[in-house]
Amino acid sequence: MEELSGAVAVMGYGLAAIGPGIGIGLVVAAAISAMARQPEAAGMVRTTMFLGIAFTEALALIGFVLFFIA
Amino acid sequence: MEQLILASGACDPANEIICKPDNVVDLFLYEDNLLSIGPWGITRTVFLILLAMVIVLALLFFGLRKRRMNPSKYGISIESLMLFVRDEIAVGIIGPEGVKYYPWLLSLFLFVLVGNLFEVTPLINFPITARMAIAGGLSLLTWVIFVFVGFKKNGFGYVGALIWPTTVPVALRPLVGLIEFISTFFLRPLTLAVRLFANMAAGHLMLTLLLVSGWVFISSFSEIGLRALIGVPWFVFGLGIYVFEIIVAVLQAYIITLLSAVYVDSSIHIEH
Repeated sequence: MEELSGAVAVMGYGLAAIGPGIGIGLVVAAAISAMARQPEAAGMVRTTMFLGIAFTEALALIGFVLFFIA
Repeated sequence: MEQLILASGACDPANEIICKPDNVVDLFLYEDNLLSIGPWGITRTVFLILLAMVIVLALLFFGLRKRRMNPSKYGISIESLMLFVRDEIAVGIIGPEGVKYYPWLLSLFLFVLVGNLFEVTPLINFPITARMAIAGGLSLLTWVIFVFVGFKKNGFGYVGALIWPTTVPVALRPLVGLIEFISTFFLRPLTLAVRLFANMAAGHLMLTLLLVSGWVFISSFSEIGLRALIGVPWFVFGLGIYVFEIIVAVLQAYIITLLSAVYVDSSIHIEH
């Protein structure tokens, strides 16, 4: 593993961003289709969407912090 | 350019792939005291915390000073901001008893909002919430409040419902209980603090990187000639990020308040 040095932390952050990227995409896509089907529920859907994004995003942000720590 | 911004002085670009200072925290550290009173020194960060506090108090004081039938435009905007926190966050998430937590949620929202917007305020350009001490302190306060409320409302049934959830099959209860326990008492405050901190730190780094490096290139036009034009797209991109960061600042203030309300709600209504 000696030759794997230097940018490993950046690669780790890149890997950590894959899952949340897909997850946030799914959350927002579902929220958009919900808002399009039922525009009167848009306010409630938006709040829940931000909650979902916030929970999903945490993983990517932890990866981002690890990049500084490593 | 004598002073390197993000690369440490001893960095050799030929060998090291990434040049970063030994401690990125240096970017967010101001150790010189602006003034010191006895054993207490006021650094730039502490000064900005006090400034944010004064701004929040002044906003509310001047917005609500006169109660009249036809409030001024400023009074209406402050009042609608407060009503947004009360109706959308406090009552909307927690329910009618959420009004009790409304003062705390409003102070959290306004303080974090002002602290975040320092990032895009000219001449300040430093988000105080990008310091882990402040984000961590705020999330620790949230932690204390939701744990206290959980014990006050439900007694020891609060922890009991967490580590022995009756809605899942018996064989899975220890596992789910362990995960729930760790996520509630350890991961919640951690992610709450890290979310705010990392968003603000990332934004601050991006703005520093793009705007300052673009400016360094443009301002050295007389030395390197036309090659200095490479700084122009960076600077323009940095200005785009600047607008984006305004949205992020408001959104993160909203999200930390929303999540605090959700955590308190989950402590009050433990059945789900």
